[in-house]
Amino acid sequence: MSSSSQSLVQHGHSVLVRIAKGDIRHIKAEENGTAVIPKFGSFLCNDLIGQPYGLTYEIVGKNLKLLPPRLLQEVEDTDATNELISDGQLVQPLTLDEIKELKQSGAHSSDIIQKQIENHANFALKTEYSKEKYKKRKEAKYSKTFTTIEPTIFNVCEYWFAKDQTRIRDIRSDSLGQILNLANIHPGGRFLVVEDASGIVASAILKRLGGDGQLLAICDTESPPAFPVMQQLNLTPDEIKPLRSLNWATALQDYNPIVPPSDLAPGEIRSERQKSRLKKRKNMNDALENTRQELFAGEFDGLVIATEYDPYSVIERLAPFLGGSAPIVVHSPYIQILSDLQAKLRNMPQYLSPSVTEGWLRRYQILPGRTHPMMAMSGSGGFILHALKVIENPVREEIPAVSAEAADAEMQGGDASEDAMVVDEKTE
Amino acid sequence: MWSSKRTIAAGDTVIVWMTRDSLEPLVVTPNAVLHNKWGQYPHNAFIGLPYGSKVRSSAPSNSGRGGPSGGFLYILRPTPELWTLALPHRTQILYIADISFVVNWLNIGPGKRVVEAGTGSGSFSHSVARTVGREGRLFTFEFHEQRAMKAKAEFEKHGLSPGLVTLQHRNVCKDGFGEGIADSIDAVFLDLPAPWEAIPHAKKVLRKDGVARICCFSPCIEQVIRTVTALNDAGFSEITMFETLQRPIEVSSTPKLASIEDAADRLKAAEIKREEKRLRQIAQNREKEALDKALAEGGGSGSSGAGKRKQSEGDEDGEGGEGENGEGDVKRAKTQSSTTPEEREGEKEEEGLPRVPVLTTREIKMPVPARSKSGKYDMEGKIAVSKALPEVRGHTSYLTFACLVPYAYALAQGEKKGTGAVVEVKEVVNGITPSTETKGEGENEKSAEPEPEVKVGDA
Repeated sequence: MSSSSQSLVQHGHSVLVRIAKGDIRHIKAEENGTAVIPKFGSFLCNDLIGQPYGLTYEIVGKNLKLLPPRLLQEVEDTDATNELISDGQLVQPLTLDEIKELKQSGAHSSDIIQKQIENHANFALKTEYSKEKYKKRKEAKYSKTFTTIEPTIFNVCEYWFAKDQTRIRDIRSDSLGQILNLANIHPGGRFLVVEDASGIVASAILKRLGGDGQLLAICDTESPPAFPVMQQLNLTPDEIKPLRSLNWATALQDYNPIVPPSDLAPGEIRSERQKSRLKKRKNMNDALENTRQELFAGEFDGLVIATEYDPYSVIERLAPFLGGSAPIVVHSPYIQILSDLQAKLRNMPQYLSPSVTEGWLRRYQILPGRTHPMMAMSGSGGFILHALKVIENPVREEIPAVSAEAADAEMQGGDASEDAMVVDEKTE
Repeated sequence: MWSSKRTIAAGDTVIVWMTRDSLEPLVVTPNAVLHNKWGQYPHNAFIGLPYGSKVRSSAPSNSGRGGPSGGFLYILRPTPELWTLALPHRTQILYIADISFVVNWLNIGPGKRVVEAGTGSGSFSHSVARTVGREGRLFTFEFHEQRAMKAKAEFEKHGLSPGLVTLQHRNVCKDGFGEGIADSIDAVFLDLPAPWEAIPHAKKVLRKDGVARICCFSPCIEQVIRTVTALNDAGFSEITMFETLQRPIEVSSTPKLASIEDAADRLKAAEIKREEKRLRQIAQNREKEALDKALAEGGGSGSSGAGKRKQSEGDEDGEGGEGENGEGDVKRAKTQSSTTPEEREGEKEEEGLPRVPVLTTREIKMPVPARSKSGKYDMEGKIAVSKALPEVRGHTSYLTFACLVPYAYALAQGEKKGTGAVVEVKEVVNGITPSTETKGEGENEKSAEPEPEVKVGDA
């Protein structure tokens, strides 16, 4: 059976691993290298390279031992309660030093925990659920097992959100999913992105383009933007191919970027080195000009914004380069910013039905007999404004847009917008 | 999938946007006419226009409303999201919050092979088809024959070729997903009343050489619990469950909020005005009194003068006078008039019930922002405020996810190569004690039989 490309850990990959405690760490898989997970352990990367993602290992010495996936275990209900367990009582005669000694002697984590259970004064009194919880807690403390996490958009977003959500502008996994769908990101599409969310949005769009299409990022830096998130997604060169970038100066239509000259009179070229430098320069200048022309050609399929700049200024500048019916999606951690934007856009005829929403996401613990929502949940994954670009005074394709007719259409437009308002009030 | 051309052509499926809550799919048919409440729209007028065009009505609607340029609508390019809002419902459908979350969790992307059961109204199918692109595949299964036929016709109309989307009329709980796609699927989505019955079949089609993912969509917690048991028995791991919603936010603009200083100034002005009025009335009464006196001296009796005197004293205390004076201050007049019904209940009044001052809403009501000639709100001096809608969707379904990890595959690869990770079978079942019970491939076949699980009522 043919199936889509396999996801294997490769040399140079940035690998996310979940350690027994539940924390997610990040390592680099370098051939013949050693991966170090601080305060946890280290192992030889070669044991990981070539393996499919998603597997669980135990660190044994410097090597990895493959473990089967962890399954849920039914916990038998008993009559035990905490009636006879008093708080604050010393229940564990095993001292910290003794445990340390055990660890150093090379005892397996399961042996240490077994010993702790044997010595525990009240273990037998505990309910089965409580015993489970105790074992799990101890296991998380001593176990040297970890699981590799496939670098999907979802997993990488969760990793960054947990690590530092402000660096990805509070874009939670559910918000990111909504952004990608609302912007109609699809292979073969041409999209504009303006983001300073560490590249989470741009990387996710690239992943969804699958190497087919175009993504033009407009940034506020002289050189192409640094997208640190891209690293964890391990995008292939093919997947990065659709990415181009301009900055707010080079994206101006009436601005001529100041570039070093690439053409010199043949007599002025003094050396081969200079010649190749000029050639390189020319290629860069040409690439910049090509990208500019791509933007100015317009008809983009969508615009995604997640920036600290005024989103209205972005829309004002880039909406002219969108095709009719193209979605505009803006994410912000702050409702005020999107409220103000919505209040502005809804009175402009070229933006249809701007609406603001907030995502809500709740995760559950699902263990047999112990299913409930997690005690802590994320407060907000930010807000999303979504609108469509529409054409107030469309010009039919067959009719060449003669200036007189265009002016006529403009005038009609003025009248029609009055009429539209009347209807608008009726329908509201 | 749908038209990617800039302009609308005959035969295109388009989405007609009438209002925020009224969207309809439409196949552009030469010489056909679209009628709605606000007018008539010949399809011919759409052809050749760019997608996203605003179109004005050519004639009044049959009921006589609207008129030439009276109504308008927008002709939009279909997207799975617009389709979800416009599609003919055959079943309860999935909306953007769930769809986008499931697609994201299941890592559905370009080139992926996806299985969906059941097809339902095709809301999720369109989203998946868009996202997997030309290199991907969607195999979708529907056990209701009529729905399956309708969905098939729809997919064809939308350019979802059988090479991209394969729809089968089939009961996957009984008959599975078919041998043809065994071990090849990246992600399975089950929107079925009893997903646990389809889970062993789903395992057969999922790929074994990489992480494969599954999502079961169920509205009830009892269904979730049975699903979790079935997933666990089938050897799925990383089982987790989510609920996700999209809260709509209502934005409106109001004038900048007034400061209490303004209220104080207004009250001060009113006090001054009232005092002026009182003094004016006293002066008027004195004048009148003097006049009366002069008249009485001229021939009337002295008795009526005492009465008048008494009344004017009352005036000085500021208790009366409003009735006589038509142009009293508006606020007082309003307070007075709003107490009238109370006064009609004369008895109550006499019992000495305290008069509650009634606030008039006139002063604190936010005026509707005026539109300028250009049809734009003047945001000058106004602020945008936002709040959640009073009633929102509170629950759609629970999303139960799980992974099938390529453990057996990696084990076999390791043995073959003799390299890579040291492999040694040691079962860890959610605890530290090595268990003798091994859940291998053979075990799972058995677990497809009736499981000794929690008995729950029908979902």
